[in-house]
Amino acid sequence: MLNELIFALWETLYMIALSTLFSGIFGFAVAIVMILTGTNGLRPNRAVYSVLNIAVNLLRSFPFIILMIAIIPLTRLIAGTSIGSTASIVPLTIAATPFVARLMEGSLLEVDPGVVEAAKSFGAGDMQIVFGVMVKEAMPSIVLNWAVVAINLLGYSAMAGVVGGGGLGDLAIKYGYNRFQTDVMIYSVAILIVIVQLIQSVGNKVYEKIK
Amino acid sequence: MIEVNGLGKKFGELKVLNDVSLNVERGDVFGIVGHSGAGKSTLLRCLNGLEGYSEGSVRVMGQEVCELDPKGLKELRKEMGMIFQNFNLMNRKNVYENIMFPLEVWGVPKKEAEERVKELLELVGLTEKKNEKVRNLSGGQKQRIGIARALALKPKILLCDEATSALDPKTTISILDLLMDINVKLGVTIIVVTHQMEVVKMVCNKVVILDGGRVVASGDADNLFLAPGEELRKLITDDYAVIPSGTNIRLMFPREIANESIITRMARELDIDFSVVGGRIERYRDTVMGFLIINVSDAELEKVIVWLKDNGMFWEVMKNAE
Ligand SMILES: Nc1ncnc2c1ncn2[C@@H]1O[C@H](COP(=O)(O)OP(=O)(O)OP(=O)(O)O)[C@@H](O)[C@H]1O
Ligand SMILES: [Mg+2]
Repeated sequence: MLNELIFALWETLYMIALSTLFSGIFGFAVAIVMILTGTNGLRPNRAVYSVLNIAVNLLRSFPFIILMIAIIPLTRLIAGTSIGSTASIVPLTIAATPFVARLMEGSLLEVDPGVVEAAKSFGAGDMQIVFGVMVKEAMPSIVLNWAVVAINLLGYSAMAGVVGGGGLGDLAIKYGYNRFQTDVMIYSVAILIVIVQLIQSVGNKVYEKIK
Repeated sequence: MIEVNGLGKKFGELKVLNDVSLNVERGDVFGIVGHSGAGKSTLLRCLNGLEGYSEGSVRVMGQEVCELDPKGLKELRKEMGMIFQNFNLMNRKNVYENIMFPLEVWGVPKKEAEERVKELLELVGLTEKKNEKVRNLSGGQKQRIGIARALALKPKILLCDEATSALDPKTTISILDLLMDINVKLGVTIIVVTHQMEVVKMVCNKVVILDGGRVVASGDADNLFLAPGEELRKLITDDYAVIPSGTNIRLMFPREIANESIITRMARELDIDFSVVGGRIERYRDTVMGFLIINVSDAELEKVIVWLKDNGMFWEVMKNAE
């Protein structure tokens, strides 16, 4: 049982680490474009903004389990297989990307427009403003949101068991619920709780440090 | 240095600036005054292209601002520093990094940039605070950093949008002194947007008064204060209750006679009595000026007025009703 727990823990960490990383990158990119093209952005563009805005809303309204099944062909195309924890990184990333985009957009919108204006006033370019001012100033808030995303992905990853994704959530369901091995369920859940606490306290620590 | 002609600006249907014209010369400390919502900030932002405009012309150092391409606009902004009411510093950078930022943006070589920041820290008197987080500083200190940052690229013009409005009177004076120093020693032309008359009095040599997006008065600061028209009067609120009987006369003292005992001389020469309602001596840009409100009985009014005229005084009869 211990081996199984350790292996499930490893699978869980693997899934959320990689999907947090990928959704972080993609979501961040989308958020930057949304910030640039939004009404008060540096390069307002209604068409681009609307498309992204709708896409983000659409993807976010899919229940994860349905999304996961719906994109199986895509998963197979990218990961080469549709089962296992590597495969489940694809739906996890796709589900989390719009979430990340929205949270990052929020963080970036919170940046004081006055600071942006000051940067403009001494001739900073758009990219210098976005990365040198907005992202820099929003970093504490981005870090907190990062913790929210990682914890959400932890929850999603439990559902990845449906496509054989493995991980602690899967273990808890398989043994604890289906086979009445309550102890396995309790251990799995306990470990999940510890992971959530860890992610959140790392997030808070970093926030305090850089704010 | 800056010529604005017939400038008009709309936000949607709202006409915020209407036929605004002004002329700033090298070395001026130019005041733009008016009530909240008069369009002062908008006017200032048109000068460095932060805001576009639809009518008229804004020429800064010979260039029409709205015709500049993005690169030209950047070059122009390099020549025009700006400071703000809320300082607009980056919270996550320390004092040193905030001042360094414009130099980084322009790719100034590290060594040179470090030298420059050091100079600026000295200029604004914050050398010991250089590693401090911005958030731990007082308002006055923050504005000093704002000023240092605005001067980092050695601009020829400094735009100040309500730079002292968030500060207490004492700090305001210290910031205004610093601005004066910058004007005189570094030869930077300064444009001061404010609703505080005190600020204009202390630093400006020229003023325009903006109301509802229009220039309602303009001229040399001295003259405007010595002979304030209706518009300026609206902005200067005297808190003196005038005496209802007799006639209240407001005497303005330009620099030449501020120190002379003109009033006692008048009393002696005319052999009259009058009462003093109120008055004030104020420190201006580079001089001292003052005013005195006296109350003269109706019988002696004529005599007094003739005397005032003969002696070349600046004065006005105040309206009693109010
Ligand atoms: N971006 C904008 N969109 C729409 N209206 C605006 C915008 N900026 C300013 N205004 C309007 O233009 C008018 C003038 O604003 P402005 O900020 O120039 O006034 P101000 O004289 O600087 O006032 P204050 O002393 O309060 O700073 C106000 O009525 C304001 O509501
Ligand atoms: Mg304003």
